[in-house]
Amino acid sequence: MSERENGVEGGTGGGNGSAGSPARRPRVSRRAFVAGAGAASVAAWARRATAQGKPTITYWNGLTGADGKVMDELIDQFTRDSGIRIEQQRLPWADLYAKLQVAVPAGEGPDLALIHTVEVPHFASDGVLEAIDDATTTAKGFRADDYLPATWQGGTYQSKRYSLPLDVPQHILYLNTKVMKEAGLVGADGRPRVPGSRDELVTMAKRIASKPETFGFAIGTVGPGRYTWGFHNLLWQNGANIYAADLKKAAVAEPAGLEVAEFWAALEGQHKIAPPANANCRDAFIAGKLGMWIAGSWNFTGLREAKVEFTAAPLPRLFKQPVVWAMPHQYTFPKAKAADRTKRDAAWAHVRWMTDHVAEWTLKAGQVSASRKAHSDARITGDPVLRALLSQAPQWQVGQPTPKWVAAENLTRPVIEAVYTGQKPAKAAMEDLARQINALPD
Amino acid sequence: MTRQTRVAYAFLAPGLLLFAAYRLYPLLEGLRLSFTNARLGRPLQQWVGLANYTRLLEDTRFHVSLWNTALYTVASTLPILAVPLALALALNRGRLKNLLRSVFFFPFTLSVVTVGLAWLWLLDPVVGPFNYYLRALGAPARSWLADPHTAMAAIILTTVWWVTGYYLVIYLAGLQDIPRELYEAAALDGASGPRAFVAVTLPLLRPVLLFVVVTHVIGSFQLFGQVFVLTNGGPGDATRTVVQHLYETAFQNFFQFGAASAMAWVLFAVILIFSLVQFRLLRGHTEY
Repeated sequence: MSERENGVEGGTGGGNGSAGSPARRPRVSRRAFVAGAGAASVAAWARRATAQGKPTITYWNGLTGADGKVMDELIDQFTRDSGIRIEQQRLPWADLYAKLQVAVPAGEGPDLALIHTVEVPHFASDGVLEAIDDATTTAKGFRADDYLPATWQGGTYQSKRYSLPLDVPQHILYLNTKVMKEAGLVGADGRPRVPGSRDELVTMAKRIASKPETFGFAIGTVGPGRYTWGFHNLLWQNGANIYAADLKKAAVAEPAGLEVAEFWAALEGQHKIAPPANANCRDAFIAGKLGMWIAGSWNFTGLREAKVEFTAAPLPRLFKQPVVWAMPHQYTFPKAKAADRTKRDAAWAHVRWMTDHVAEWTLKAGQVSASRKAHSDARITGDPVLRALLSQAPQWQVGQPTPKWVAAENLTRPVIEAVYTGQKPAKAAMEDLARQINALPD
Repeated sequence: MTRQTRVAYAFLAPGLLLFAAYRLYPLLEGLRLSFTNARLGRPLQQWVGLANYTRLLEDTRFHVSLWNTALYTVASTLPILAVPLALALALNRGRLKNLLRSVFFFPFTLSVVTVGLAWLWLLDPVVGPFNYYLRALGAPARSWLADPHTAMAAIILTTVWWVTGYYLVIYLAGLQDIPRELYEAAALDGASGPRAFVAVTLPLLRPVLLFVVVTHVIGSFQLFGQVFVLTNGGPGDATRTVVQHLYETAFQNFFQFGAASAMAWVLFAVILIFSLVQFRLLRGHTEY
């Protein structure tokens, strides 16, 4: 009997429970033992009560890279500060979105989820996300003025708010100093030259690519042929988009879209400046086989770790306007089966805490914040890459707010790859893509 | 019903219940969904009759996927039959049989993602060792997986490397089952190596060959993992398979469960037809 009690005590008392075990104190009297067990029970009850006061929330995100470790550290700090525990589930973004779509209607969703801006419209229209009213937003201390417009607007769908932006993954131009130097493309200060136009980019890239097994320019991290985010960026620079302004019909086959597709087709085929469609551009850049590289801001901490000599410059204007593709991460509250006020408040507390500590996130994870407050932090403005990223803020643009955006993007991927590899002429491919996008069901 | 039958059913019940819950019900629910416009997350769904099936007739990407899948199935069957068999024959009498069998089996213990990522790197056009050695030998390097003419061949090569060990073990077991006396009798009749292989080994391996072909063909029609990791169906749609098309329709392009279910049932019908044909062709005089 006593063994069983000890076993139970050991269980409820957590790590300290075994201290009262008779095995360690063989000569303890029965009275003392009962008293000790009672005290331990009270202590365990008190701990449970505290734990009940501070709930544990579930939080799903796709931060599978180095940024995940940073998030873990910050969450530990948040738990120490607030007493609120967070159970994270981390899986690749695409899987995360499929899981949210399945789990939330079944009442198995998380208390908090981090998603990309372009996912907001379809999750909102499918009733996966809880709408956030203005009164709550204001009461929790979130104001539109504190944010850059593209990020704040990205959290809404059909005039209703569904999310709050955290940070702004975006494109930037990386220049490999060694490769550029070898091609004689550095200024008097020894820093790589930045192309000012599309023609200049192609000329410079050709010069770099004249060295065997070296590529002048690439856009995209892995698989540049099918890098839709890069293709979107170029479309936006040319004033084009996937959908027309009414968000009903596809606009990719219009002249501005075709011009971008022609450039896409010429990168490897005609100009011979870009790596093959499925190349790993990050590895090529690190290996000193790629000179100019437009890619996500999430790459730069890895480049530093790999000790590559590089500079980062704001995106050049390759078409009509120097628009920069951005994809803010958004905090969302998936709908719960039964409203749990305590958990929702705890989730809000975490969003508030992260927003207040976003400078740490920026410095360690390398993502600049959506809120303006951290932008003047001297530690951030003192970093040349973060400074370049921040300087692009007025040019940020996000995907169109239609529930079909992500599906249209998935359709775009193989089509632009076929253009890149020369399997399909640009015009026919864009017309085919427009047809496919228009055939998506409502 | 006799007591004995009742007892038998009682013992079968747990298995049958699990089969009904996890196989039969999803199968029939999929069939029902294929006649609706169901979308995951949308509570309302309408009966659309055969619309999802007729849409497949116009879906050129589905046709391409079906063609690619058939191409893969046909093109990969011969190497999958021949390579492990050749190795099995070589290993059957060898002294290092057990060691080499383990060595060849090792790749099959890896998950498809691990195999895919390893080959993705091996075949990488810029930093991959495969091209590095080609260049060193003076041969032109190419981007195997980004070239529509070689991408499918690269996927087949990867798959053969991956599954050879598995089929090798099956062939070895089949070879061990052939009585030695038959070879001795063949030798007395003057049949040497190749003749004995054709007259003794192949006919007696028939059940094993049938098993290999049928399981491989069914697996081929469901090809997904290697393609997903190595090419994601690319370049363009050059290696896109039916299951990938189905997966994307269901889980990426707007969660169209109705349309995806229709594809799954078409695929089911195709596999069924192929399997029946194979059984008919290879049944012959096989004794089980």
